[in-house]
Amino acid sequence: MKRVLVACGNGIATSTVVASKIRDYAKGKGVEITTTQCKLMEVAGKADYFDLVVTTGQFSGNSTTPVVRALSLLTGIGQEATLESIVDHLR
Amino acid sequence: MFDAIMTGFNWFMSAGATVMLPVIITIIGLIFGLKLTTAFKSGLTLGIGFAGINLILDFMKTNVGTAAKAMVDNIGVDLDVLDVGWGSIAAITWASPIIAILIFAILATNVIMLILKATNTLDVDIWNYHHMAIVGIMVHYVTGNVLLGVAASVVMAATTFKIADWSQPMVEDFFGIPGVSLPTISATSTLLIAWPLNWLLDRIPGVNKINFTLKDAQKYLGFFGDQMIMGLVLGLVIGGLAGYDLASVLKLGVSMSAVLVLIPKMTAMFMEGLIPISEAAQKWSQEKFKDRKLFIGLDAAVVVGNQDVITTALIIIPLTIALAVILPGNRVLPFADLAIVPFRVALAVALTRGNLFKNLIIGLVTTASLLYCGSLTAPFLTSIAENVGIDMAIAGGAILISSFAATSLIHSFLVFMAFTGKLMFTMPIMVVVIAATWYYFEKIKPNKKQLIEAEVIETHSIENY
Repeated sequence: MKRVLVACGNGIATSTVVASKIRDYAKGKGVEITTTQCKLMEVAGKADYFDLVVTTGQFSGNSTTPVVRALSLLTGIGQEATLESIVDHLR
Repeated sequence: MFDAIMTGFNWFMSAGATVMLPVIITIIGLIFGLKLTTAFKSGLTLGIGFAGINLILDFMKTNVGTAAKAMVDNIGVDLDVLDVGWGSIAAITWASPIIAILIFAILATNVIMLILKATNTLDVDIWNYHHMAIVGIMVHYVTGNVLLGVAASVVMAATTFKIADWSQPMVEDFFGIPGVSLPTISATSTLLIAWPLNWLLDRIPGVNKINFTLKDAQKYLGFFGDQMIMGLVLGLVIGGLAGYDLASVLKLGVSMSAVLVLIPKMTAMFMEGLIPISEAAQKWSQEKFKDRKLFIGLDAAVVVGNQDVITTALIIIPLTIALAVILPGNRVLPFADLAIVPFRVALAVALTRGNLFKNLIIGLVTTASLLYCGSLTAPFLTSIAENVGIDMAIAGGAILISSFAATSLIHSFLVFMAFTGKLMFTMPIMVVVIAATWYYFEKIKPNKKQLIEAEVIETHSIENY
């Protein structure tokens, strides 16, 4: 079971959309994951406990965990490619 | 026949928001072409979210509300309007009996403006329609006129799409996200203050040169960005000021921390429930306008992670509490919405290009406007909450509710006042103001920019020689 940290401005709005899309896509590909949502400000403190960080906004901090920017999951443009790369990180 | 429908409607209304919400959202979902099971699950999820918010608000009422009242009585500060947070207000909005009409009116406004090429912002972020809808709901509540309510939401929508258009270059430039605009009123409303104020600050000799940076703001003020700790600290302070004994002070601290952490979890249920509807709307509209290059309207949550925004917000948060105490006539006790201060300052930061001095000035003026507009419209908001079954009457109605959303936002406040004042005077004023602003941004400003660019090219070519 891989753990994904999904972060956005307030940890509620866009991260809920992105987390739900990632869960659905991963399920379709047969990859088992859990998602946790948080605020971008909290990423630095939490990232180490996760296999992947997905953000909808700018994240300029350092993290040893790979970070994927997922604005495309909100705009719908280039969504497939982003989802693909997210799942690749989690296989 | 009409009587029968009205009786049915009244029965349905009296069943309360937890029953009505799933039904209304299911119907909205079906209209957007969702399968019945998906639509119903969406509706039920929203109903659950509403029940959750209601639970938290009840908890907040007994703990925080009582303590706020005790503090008011004990030290005599007039902070009798409790900030219950934007999420609670959004829940009240989605539970309104006229929400379905408003949602489609707002969506129709966007589609019609897109067809007329009056906007380039494609806003199908259905969730954030609540900022536009609440103004209509409040106008409907005050005037009793559904059409006026719908008109108010349409005006909110149209002006917001325009502001999103006008601020798009700034958003793309400063935050580095192309093809996106932010029709999120909780963020754009600040521009109504920031645009003129920034213009003014740039023209005061001496002041226009000031800028400073705070490197360690995040290190030392970071806890203001952490809901858990902030709730705890606020609870301890308010409990102390209320004259509670130690055990009660500690209990209040943990309770307030709990409220700040739990409200977002409940609000997320609303988001989750609305995803299928938003997606259906996105698919439909992108198909419809696929030949045009449009800005996709997104929630401002995508920009508030910016470092300059966070630094500004962390400084403004404690000052917000100070302002609430100092400002004469303010009644709002800031609480749940201290968490979303980054949204209120984000676009000011983009406008000033991260000038911390100007950001703080604009941030403070914006905060003052939030407090005053929130104080003035709290009685209406409290009554509307009661109408959808959230009874916030604390100590016989001595404590009212408000937030930093809804008509606390200057944009929403002005439109609300225009629609609830003497229409004969307010409507022409509103139309003239909107038209003048429109003219400035679409006709005057682009010309000016061309002039400046032409000058720049000229000087460059001279230098080259």
